[in-house]
Amino acid sequence: MEDNASTRPRLTTGRRNVLVTAAVAGIGALIASQVASSARTSTAPLTDDVKLQHLLRRTGFGASASELDQYRKLGLNGTVERLLNYETVDNSALETRLNRANFDLSKPLPLEMWWLLRMAYTARPFEEKLTLFWHGLLTSAISKVGRAELMFQQNQFFRQNAMGRFPDILKGVSRDPAMMIWLDLNSNRKGHPNENYARELMELFSLGVGNYSEQDVRESARAFTGWTLRAQRFFYDKRFHDDGQKTFLAHTGNFNGNDIIDIIVQQPASAKFITNKLFSFFVYPNPTDQVLQPFVQTYVTSSYSIKALVQKLLTSDEFYSPRAYRALIKSPTEYLVGIIRGLGLEADGVGLPQVMNLMGQMLFNPPNVAGWPGGPAWLTTGTWLARLNTANRVTTALTGAAPNPFARPNPKAPIQPFDVSSFFKGVTAPAQAVDHVLGLLVDGNVDPAQRQVLIDYVTPPNGTSLANANRVWLAERARGLFYLTLALPEFHLS
Amino acid sequence: MAVLTRRDLVRSGLAVVSAGAFMPTIFTRAVAAAAIDNSVSSSGSTTSKTLIIIQLAGGNDGLNTVIPYADPLYRQLRPHLGIAADQVVQLNDHLGLHPSLKGLKSLWDNGKLAIVESVGYDHPSLSHFQAMDIWQTADPTISRHQGWLSTLVDGSVDKNGHPFKGLSVGPELAPALCCPAVPPPALSSVGDYRLQPDPRFPSGRAARESALNRLYASYAAPAPYAALLDSTSQSAEVTSTALQDTVAGHQPASGANYPKGGFGDGLKLLAAMIAKDMGLRVGYVVLGGFDTHSNQAKHHSDILQALADGISAFQTDLTGHGKADNVVVMTWSEFGRRAAENASLGTDHGTAAPLFVTGPQVKGGVYGEPPNLGKLDNGNLEFATDFRSIYATVLEGWLQADATSILGQSFPRVAFL
Repeated sequence: MEDNASTRPRLTTGRRNVLVTAAVAGIGALIASQVASSARTSTAPLTDDVKLQHLLRRTGFGASASELDQYRKLGLNGTVERLLNYETVDNSALETRLNRANFDLSKPLPLEMWWLLRMAYTARPFEEKLTLFWHGLLTSAISKVGRAELMFQQNQFFRQNAMGRFPDILKGVSRDPAMMIWLDLNSNRKGHPNENYARELMELFSLGVGNYSEQDVRESARAFTGWTLRAQRFFYDKRFHDDGQKTFLAHTGNFNGNDIIDIIVQQPASAKFITNKLFSFFVYPNPTDQVLQPFVQTYVTSSYSIKALVQKLLTSDEFYSPRAYRALIKSPTEYLVGIIRGLGLEADGVGLPQVMNLMGQMLFNPPNVAGWPGGPAWLTTGTWLARLNTANRVTTALTGAAPNPFARPNPKAPIQPFDVSSFFKGVTAPAQAVDHVLGLLVDGNVDPAQRQVLIDYVTPPNGTSLANANRVWLAERARGLFYLTLALPEFHLS
Repeated sequence: MAVLTRRDLVRSGLAVVSAGAFMPTIFTRAVAAAAIDNSVSSSGSTTSKTLIIIQLAGGNDGLNTVIPYADPLYRQLRPHLGIAADQVVQLNDHLGLHPSLKGLKSLWDNGKLAIVESVGYDHPSLSHFQAMDIWQTADPTISRHQGWLSTLVDGSVDKNGHPFKGLSVGPELAPALCCPAVPPPALSSVGDYRLQPDPRFPSGRAARESALNRLYASYAAPAPYAALLDSTSQSAEVTSTALQDTVAGHQPASGANYPKGGFGDGLKLLAAMIAKDMGLRVGYVVLGGFDTHSNQAKHHSDILQALADGISAFQTDLTGHGKADNVVVMTWSEFGRRAAENASLGTDHGTAAPLFVTGPQVKGGVYGEPPNLGKLDNGNLEFATDFRSIYATVLEGWLQADATSILGQSFPRVAFL
């Protein structure tokens, strides 16, 4: 054990804090620290309707006007109940739609389309949002796994266990074929342990750097020996399992992989780790220990239940605090699916992976073992341009004059072009049109100066009324109004 | 530096300032901001020298890159993965390059390839992300949150209106360039790096972009992420226009055969920017896939091949455009790998490793201490040259920057520059 001090950085208390919050997250946190001072919000409490839209963005991908009406009838508490208990919500329309689309899930692009459409049309948005969370945390990438059907299988595992007990999720993913290939668990043998899974299990999945030693990595790798794959299924090969005593995080015994996970989740650092991950994903990044404490408590006393933890998060004052409002930068997935859901667009999957790539995210193919850095790292000059160009493709197809970018023409089931004019029925003043679009997409909550820019943009020249405006001019400005709203700083935030 | 946000400029009603022929009027406010910014900053160096960083992401296996082929311990540690003496590209009687790096041999023969052996730092981290942060911030204590090259690309736009002091290839901005007030551009492909107009109403472009500009100008602190959104959009607008107008149609010099994929495309773009005098000081490109825990032989061979092909094509391209003398290329990786191979025919995370520095102005040769395979620390190689000595050398010896101020302390330079 002594020797390992030299292969591990010495940690001071101050540094440990940095490591837990910053080092693991890499560039995301690095940039976050640069912009943290700019991530302040107003202190005004949120109105009930803003709270509802905030909730729908965080637990899903926003809502169309008609969905929003349904949730308004349920009220905030009723909506939380419905979102959380999603297994009681009928999702047959989604399944019918996906069956009809008949994606070949053994291929990467159809697999990505399949998931994006699930997110766009599910009646259980929280189920997909949690699946996206687990995909980002307990991540694997098709670039190494190679087989899309194994990535699909892992994705289904996350969906089916999204609110399970954390140790069960860790044990399940440790036997997941895609994960086993991704982190070389399948080639971990007695006498020649492969440390890849053992290290990332602790560093990235459950504890964070600074809460274990290099010796713990080696001992854990020994415990996982013999876990392998046979015919692409988990197989415990006794011949290759190291049956000797292991000393791991101050426990000694003849441990196997499940024992290792049980020891890990009992560490206070693990409870804090997973609570922080969920808090930072759903509420706001990098909460203080003091803020986190009651949530850690709930997680531990519920015997490590993710459902108990997220329920507490979604009903907490912190979740609806001004500090949490617009405190997250949308991922490309959230940005794109948010547009499809918000505008009620019809999509069949075509074109979606391409725009996702340009915006910097390929589902099922994160850049490395830490998943996507996320946060401010989502926004670079290149990805910002790609987001606006996505908005351009969508909004310039709105009137049906251009083909829908995300659906093939289908004579048997013609896709109705999104009808801009329906938004302007009964609208007599430019401000009405602007407020309608802002209300739909950004909670109607922007700076008055921004609202005025948009009003000016859709005000016909020379005092002409909207009713008498040149129709070509009106079409251009109507499309432009939607484009500009999807381009707004506020629409990039969740 | 003094930060003049677009909001300030819009509010003060600053007149349009001409900042180069390629700038349409609606974006000149942003250029004016940067130009003014630059004129008040102290870093307005007019050097035409460029540093290109190639990050080998994942932890490159140094022992199979620069190979101590004559050392019997090498064969003992690498019974399956070891490269045979008659396969290596021999540099002398004990060192050789991986066979895939044959393309670098002519640089070596011409005395333009420097190899620094056993580069690392004290108490190394075996975590990818911690180690990357250490290298990117030049700070083994991870208490600094500023990329080691960020001050060199500060201001983003130079005095002549060239908005490309730094460029990061790929969707993410390299943390080494992070984060001056105006972020350097990050892009994957030139063709997509522009704001597309409404195809049906091209004449409405100016009105729409002007409204866009004003919407961002009206989104100000303390609104969340106001500085990030404003500076990113500003930098995107300026750089995309400049790039389309100058680089889009550029052709590589004949004989420059870049490898397929993002790495080769990135080097090609960087060469184009240098050929077009876009003011580039630091270019950054990533070659990934070095985390070779299993079945490493074929894969490692392929990515080293891409590395050699990329560097060769880049040098050929720059030479063809008469710019090679202005450019130095260096590689780095967050760590090397364990000295002994593992049972999966791969290697686990390790510590010290060699890196390359090359270019016509580089003094070729082997620097630093060779790895001591007889003296491992828990199976890992000990470092001999602090990575910040390499940084100090390129900062002072090439970019004429104040290394001590950037790195926070003084490090001995290595003699390759």
